[in-house]
Amino acid sequence: MKPRKVKKLDPQAPLAENAVRILKTRSAEFVELAATATESGSSDDLHDARIAAKRLRYVLEVTGFCFGKEANAARKQARDVQDLLGEIHDCDVLLPRVLEHIEQLREGDARSVSQSLAPDGAPAIDDVHWKDLNKAPARRAYAGLEKLALLLAARRRLLLERFVDSWGAPQRQAFVERLDGFLGSPR
Amino acid sequence: MAKATPIGGLSASDSFAAAAHKILAVRSGELLQQRDRVLDTGDIEGVHDMRVASRRLRAVLEIFEPCFDKKAHRAALRDVKRLADDLGRRRDPDVQIALLESFASEASIADREGIESLIESLRAEQAEANDLLREALNRVDDHGLQSTLAELTQDSRP
Repeated sequence: MKPRKVKKLDPQAPLAENAVRILKTRSAEFVELAATATESGSSDDLHDARIAAKRLRYVLEVTGFCFGKEANAARKQARDVQDLLGEIHDCDVLLPRVLEHIEQLREGDARSVSQSLAPDGAPAIDDVHWKDLNKAPARRAYAGLEKLALLLAARRRLLLERFVDSWGAPQRQAFVERLDGFLGSPR
Repeated sequence: MAKATPIGGLSASDSFAAAAHKILAVRSGELLQQRDRVLDTGDIEGVHDMRVASRRLRAVLEIFEPCFDKKAHRAALRDVKRLADDLGRRRDPDVQIALLESFASEASIADREGIESLIESLRAEQAEANDLLREALNRVDDHGLQSTLAELTQDSRP
């Protein structure tokens, strides 16, 4: 996701004056993307909100001193939401990886079991039976992986609820007001 | 996560261009000083810290764009993005392995087998990503990201 262009930056004007423009753009970008992400809960929207929080945080790290304590508090909020969204992202990345691994093991086991029942040149057999599954090399791996997938899905739900609770419309409004408060009076 | 280095001598009344010079010098240094730690897969914080440093540097390059020569800025941003991608490719399996190891420590012995088979598969990806990262770090030296950033820092002087 490309960052929004900040308009009317002036290399010769003071840092604080330019910082106001940058922070207004970056905070508006984050707040809008956070609103979309709380509504959809989709991994793409959450990812975009996380990137926007990160950009806002890094700008606050270098320009926050122009605005005092409230800017530091806003930076911490951006860091915390970035961390929370990062944990959701970890689930979003790992869950498909777990399911893909299960699929790969199943493919490999199906090949092993069928080859053990009908090696080259042997007469064809009528069917695969439950006892034949004991020949599957990864047979003991599935239960743990299925539980892991369940754990990740449940964890994601919990983390998403936490995000929606902490970045709903009232909290976003309070965040905007905090930024408006200090951006109106740079030191 | 590594804390951002404070920018010494920075003032709210500095011109935007002068601030760009000071901030870029510090953020570039943060990135380059991490390079010796990152290839050790036994210490995953090295890659993490360098990746965060690359993100911080990228954010700074993005906001101070008007203070730099366009061509040099574009080249620096492109190289930092590439390095960040290579760091990210190593970081992904690092994070996943650490997470899986913590889950495995809570799981029953019977359930661990599957988790450990996935960890093994991720270790292979981690080793592959580490080889690519080694090449990327060599490119940083060969193509001189360090000198590109130094030139850019000079260029942003008011």
